[in-house]
Amino acid sequence: MASDLFNEYETEGFFDEVFEAAGTPRPHYSALLKRLSYFSAEELARRERRRDADFRNQGITFTVYGEEEGIERTFPMDLMPRVITADEWSHIEAGLEQRVTVLNRFLDDLYVGERAAVRDGIIPWWVVTSSDGFSREAFGIPMPLGARCLVAGIDLVRDGAGVYRVLEDNLRSPSGISYVVENRVAMTRLLPQMFADTPVRPVDHYGRSLLGALNRVAPPSAGDDPTVVVLTPGVFNSAYFEHVFLAAHMGVELVEGRDLVVDDQVVYMRTTKGLKRVDVVYRRIDDAFLDPVVFRPDSSLGVPGLMSAARSGSVTIVNAVGNGVADDKAVYAYVPALTRYYLDEEPILPNVETYLLWDPDQQASVLNRLDQLVIKPVAEAGGYGITIGPAASDEELAKCREDIIANPRNWIAQELVSLSRHPTLIDDHAEGRHIDLRPFVLTSDVVEVIPGGLTRVAMKKGSLVVNSSQGGGSKDTWVLAPTREGVESEVSEVASDVWPGAAEVSA
Amino acid sequence: MLARDAENLFWAGRYLERAEDTARLLDVTYHGLLETNAAEQRVAWRSALEAVGLRDAFEATGRALTAGNVSEFLVRDEENPGSIISAVEAARENVRTVRESLSTECWEAINSFCLSIRSRNLEVEIEQQPHELYGFIRRQCQTVAGVASETLARDDGWRFLRLGWHLERAEWTCRILRVRQVHLEAPGFHEWVGTLRSASALEAYRRNSRGSMDPADVIEFLLLSDSFPRSVFFAIRSAETSLRELGTGEEPSQPLRLVGRLRAELEFADPRELLSGDFEGELIRIERAIRGVCSAVGVRYFINIHDVDLHMLQLFPGAGVE
Amino acid sequence: MRLDIRYRSTFIYDDVVTESQNELRACPIADERQDLVRYRVSVLPSTKVSSYTDYWGTRVDTFGHRNPHVGLEVLAEATVDTKPRLQPTGACRPDALLAPEFLDLHGEYLERTPHCDWGTAVADLAAEQVRNTGPDVVSRILALHRLVGTSVEYRKGFTEVGEPVDEVLALGYGVCQDFAHLAVSFCRSQGIPARYVSGYLFTRDETVLDEAELDDDEPVRVQTHAWFEAAVPGWGWFGLDPTNQQAVGQRHVKIGHGRDYDDVQPLRGVFSGAAGAMVTPDVEIRRLAMAEVGSPALPGRLLQQHQQQQ
Repeated sequence: MASDLFNEYETEGFFDEVFEAAGTPRPHYSALLKRLSYFSAEELARRERRRDADFRNQGITFTVYGEEEGIERTFPMDLMPRVITADEWSHIEAGLEQRVTVLNRFLDDLYVGERAAVRDGIIPWWVVTSSDGFSREAFGIPMPLGARCLVAGIDLVRDGAGVYRVLEDNLRSPSGISYVVENRVAMTRLLPQMFADTPVRPVDHYGRSLLGALNRVAPPSAGDDPTVVVLTPGVFNSAYFEHVFLAAHMGVELVEGRDLVVDDQVVYMRTTKGLKRVDVVYRRIDDAFLDPVVFRPDSSLGVPGLMSAARSGSVTIVNAVGNGVADDKAVYAYVPALTRYYLDEEPILPNVETYLLWDPDQQASVLNRLDQLVIKPVAEAGGYGITIGPAASDEELAKCREDIIANPRNWIAQELVSLSRHPTLIDDHAEGRHIDLRPFVLTSDVVEVIPGGLTRVAMKKGSLVVNSSQGGGSKDTWVLAPTREGVESEVSEVASDVWPGAAEVSA
Repeated sequence: MLARDAENLFWAGRYLERAEDTARLLDVTYHGLLETNAAEQRVAWRSALEAVGLRDAFEATGRALTAGNVSEFLVRDEENPGSIISAVEAARENVRTVRESLSTECWEAINSFCLSIRSRNLEVEIEQQPHELYGFIRRQCQTVAGVASETLARDDGWRFLRLGWHLERAEWTCRILRVRQVHLEAPGFHEWVGTLRSASALEAYRRNSRGSMDPADVIEFLLLSDSFPRSVFFAIRSAETSLRELGTGEEPSQPLRLVGRLRAELEFADPRELLSGDFEGELIRIERAIRGVCSAVGVRYFINIHDVDLHMLQLFPGAGVE
Repeated sequence: MRLDIRYRSTFIYDDVVTESQNELRACPIADERQDLVRYRVSVLPSTKVSSYTDYWGTRVDTFGHRNPHVGLEVLAEATVDTKPRLQPTGACRPDALLAPEFLDLHGEYLERTPHCDWGTAVADLAAEQVRNTGPDVVSRILALHRLVGTSVEYRKGFTEVGEPVDEVLALGYGVCQDFAHLAVSFCRSQGIPARYVSGYLFTRDETVLDEAELDDDEPVRVQTHAWFEAAVPGWGWFGLDPTNQQAVGQRHVKIGHGRDYDDVQPLRGVFSGAAGAMVTPDVEIRRLAMAEVGSPALPGRLLQQHQQQQ
C-alpha cells in the first residue's frame, strides 16, 4: 500500500520543483516519489525522530541568540531530497563560475588595481566608498591568484517561470557547507533505499577541495607544505559546529585569536612544542574583529598584528579582507554590468530586478508601490530587516518609507519573486514550502563548484524566509550525474521486492 | 598540538575521572552505611566529603550533614564545581572545544553521556535508586574512556587525556586511603572492605591477598601495587609514561622529573616502614607531590594564554593621555 | 620654512607587558605644500619597524614587541620644508557642490562618521550661518570656520576624548580635536565636503624672528595638532585651523587626513598583561630656516645643528 503523502498535495500556482501539475511529477522525480510512497507516515516519522537524535548526539547544532543563554538547535533536515538534473546543473554551474570570476576581478581591481570599473563609469566611486564592507585597511594588500572570494556562497532562487536567479552573493564567511555534507550522510543512513541506482554526485570531497585551494594561495615562503589554520571566534559563535567541521575535514588545527601571535610580522600558533609558523588563516571572523590594532580595538577575538603580517606577505588571510563591498546589496545591482565590462559576456544567471533608491525617479516609483515590493537593508545577514510589501502592516510600510527617505543608500527594493516550492513532510503528509539554493564555489587557480549546495526551506507555511536563525530547515540536494549519452538522467525505477526494507512496507 | 587544546584534553581527562570516582565513592559510602546508626553515618559522610576535598565547601552551604544533602551536593549541585554534574558538563565543554582533534565517536560518547545525565530525574534517583544511578555514571565514564582508548590515535592529544586521568586517579586513591585510614576510629574489616570498594579494588585485592585484611597488605595494594591499575604507583607510572612520550628528546621536562622522582619513591617504598611512621604525613606529602606535577604540566605545556586581555592604546592631541 | 620635528611618546606600564603591537602616524606627508627632507623612527626596546602608506596617503610605521617590557618609547624625527599655502580665489557657486562628478569624488567626506555624528543643534546653527552668508562656497567655509571660533573656547579637561560634536557645542569648550570635528561637521551638514587633518604646529610667530636670531631659537614643545580642510569645487582642499582661527600656513606641518580622528590617529595599538599605562607624549619643533618664497641653500651651521640632534 502506498502511503498517501501526496494525496492532497497542491501546487497552488507556484513553480513546483516536483510536480508539473497536481498529480503529474516531473520525470526526474517520478521514481523517487514512488519509493518514498512505500514508507508509511509512521515509518517516516520514526526516521525523523532518529534524525533529530543523531543530529543532537553529534552536536550538529547552531546557537540561537536573543534568548537568555544561547540555545542549541538542530537545523531540521526534511527527509525528501531536492533533485537537480545534470542539464540544469551545468547551466547553474556555468553561471556561478562566471559570477564568481567577475566578483573576484572587481575586488582585486578595487583593492590593488586601477579601479578600472570605477574609472570607466560602470559603478560610481561613492557607492563603493559608502559601503560598510569597503575596507580601507585592506587597501594595497594583494591576494595570491586574485582569489579574494576563495569560498563564495551564491544564493539562488527559482522564480514563477522556473528561471534560476541570483538572489544575493555571500562573500565573507558564507556558511552551510557543513550541513550540505552532514545532510547527505544523514540521508544515506536514514533512507539508503532512496539512493538505489541513482547517480547522485558526491559532496564529501569538500574538505579536500578546500584544503587544496587554501594551499594554493599560501605565500611563497610557505614552501611545499603550508600550515593552514581555521580561525574561529569560539564555541559561543552560532556557526561553531561548521568551524569544527572544516578543521576536521581538512585535518588542520582549529584556533582562536588567543592561540595565535604575531612576531616580526610572522604569524605563529602556540603549541605544546613552542611556536609554529602559520601560512594561511582561513578566518571565520568578521573583518571588524580581526585585528584590534587596525580594526575595532575592543575585539578580543582577533590577532593583534595580523594585518601587518598579511601586508608583509608572510601570511594569507582567507577570505580576503574587504569582500563585504561586493556583497553589499546595492553593489549586487551592478554585477550584470560588471560582467559585461570585465568578461564581455552576458550574465548567464540573471539578478532579481533591483531598484537603487538614491535615484529620485527610482525612489519615487518604489515608494508608490511599496506594498508590492521587497525592501532589504544593504548590509544585513540572516534575513533580518527585510520588509515584504504584501505581508507588511501599514505601520511597517510607513516606517519603511521613512527609512528609505532618510537613508536611501542603506536600502534596495526588489520585485517580489514567487519562489519555487518543494514538497516537504509536515506531520503525516507533504505540503509545498518555499525553497532556495545556496551552492558553494571555491576559487583558487580554477573555479570549482560543489555539486548541489544547501537547499533551505521556509518551514512556516507561506513564509519566504528560509534562514536557519528564523526557523528555516533544509533538504539534502541531489545533482544527478550525466548519463553516458549525455541525456538527462532520471532516478531509475527499481522493483519493490528487490529492495531492502520492503518487509517494513505495510500491506 | 595547540597548547589550549592540550590543556582542554588534560582537564577533560581529570573531570571524567573525577566524575567516575565521585560516583563510586558515593555508592560505597551509601551502601556501607545501611546498617549503621546516625552518628556513624555523619562521621562517614564527613569523611566522604574530606576524601573529595569538599568538606569546607559543603559546610559553607550551611546544610545539615545528611546522606540526602551530601549526595545532592556531590551529584547535582550546579553551584558546586566538584559535583558530578559539573564535572561531566565541564568535560563535555572541554571536549567540545577540541572535538576536531578527537574522533567523532569520542565526541558522541561524551555528548550523549551529558545529554542523558541532563535528562534524568536526579533528585528522585538519588533518593530512590542511588545504586543504579551511580552504576550508570560509572559505566558511562568507562564507556567514554573505552571509546577514547579504541578510537584515538596515540598522539599528543591522547597523551594529555591519559595524563589527566592518571594524575586525578592517583590523587584520588591517595586521598581516599588517607581519609579512610586515619579518620575512622579503628578501621576494622568492614572499613577496609569499604576502602577497597571505593577504589574498585576489592576483587583484585582478594585475588592478590586471599582474604587477608591486614592493614599493611591493603595499603601496599592500594598505594604500591604494580599490577592493579588503580593503585597510586600504577597511576603515577602511567603518568610518567605519558610525560616521557610528550618529551622532545632533549632534557627531561620539569613535570617529568617530578613525576619520575615520585614514581621511584613509590617503587621502592616499604609499606611496614610507612605504616609505623607518620603515615598520614607521608600521604599528604604524596598528594602534594602529585599536585606539584599538575602545576608543572601547566607551566610547561599550557602557555598561559589567559593573560591575553588586550588594552587599547590611543593618544588624543591636546587631551594628552588615554 | 624648514622645520625639524621630534615626536616622542613614552609609556610607563603599571606592570610587565608581554605583548604589544602598534601603529604610528607621525610622519609629515609629502604633497604640493610640503617636502619631506628626512624622516627616521626608532623604538625602545629596540624592534623592527615596518612602514606602509595607507588608503589616505599617510605613512604608517608599525612595530610590535613580544618580549616582556615595562616601558616603551617611540621617537619619530622629521625635517620638512613647508611652502606658503595658497588661498582660493575667484567665486564658486554652491550648486557646484551638487555636480555629480564632484559628489562622486568627495562622497566619503560628506558622510557622518563616529566623531562627526552631528545632530540638529549643529546642523541648525550651521544652516543659519550659511543663510547669512552670500552664495559663495569659500565665503561659507570661512563663515563656518569663524562660527567654530565663536561657539567654542579652547580649554583642556572639559571634554572627554571623542566627545560628540553636539556636546562640544553645548559645552562651549574643547581642545583642538573637538574644534576640528566641529568644523568638519558644520561643513558636512551644509553639503561641503570636509576632512580632519592631523599634524604639527610651530607656534612661534614667524614675524618676530629673522635670520640673525636663528641660533637662539628655543625649540617649542607642543602636542600634535588638529585642523580641517574643506573642498572647494574647481580649486581643491582649503586648510583652516579653527583652534587658532587662521588659515593653514607654513607653520602647519600636515601628517595626514581622514574622515575623522579615527583615520589618522598619531598612535594606536594594543598591549597585554598590564592594566594601565602612563603616557607622556611630546613634540618638539625647531625652526631651521625662515619663511621663504624661494628655496635657499642651507647654511653650513644649520647642517651641523641637524647632526647634533641625532
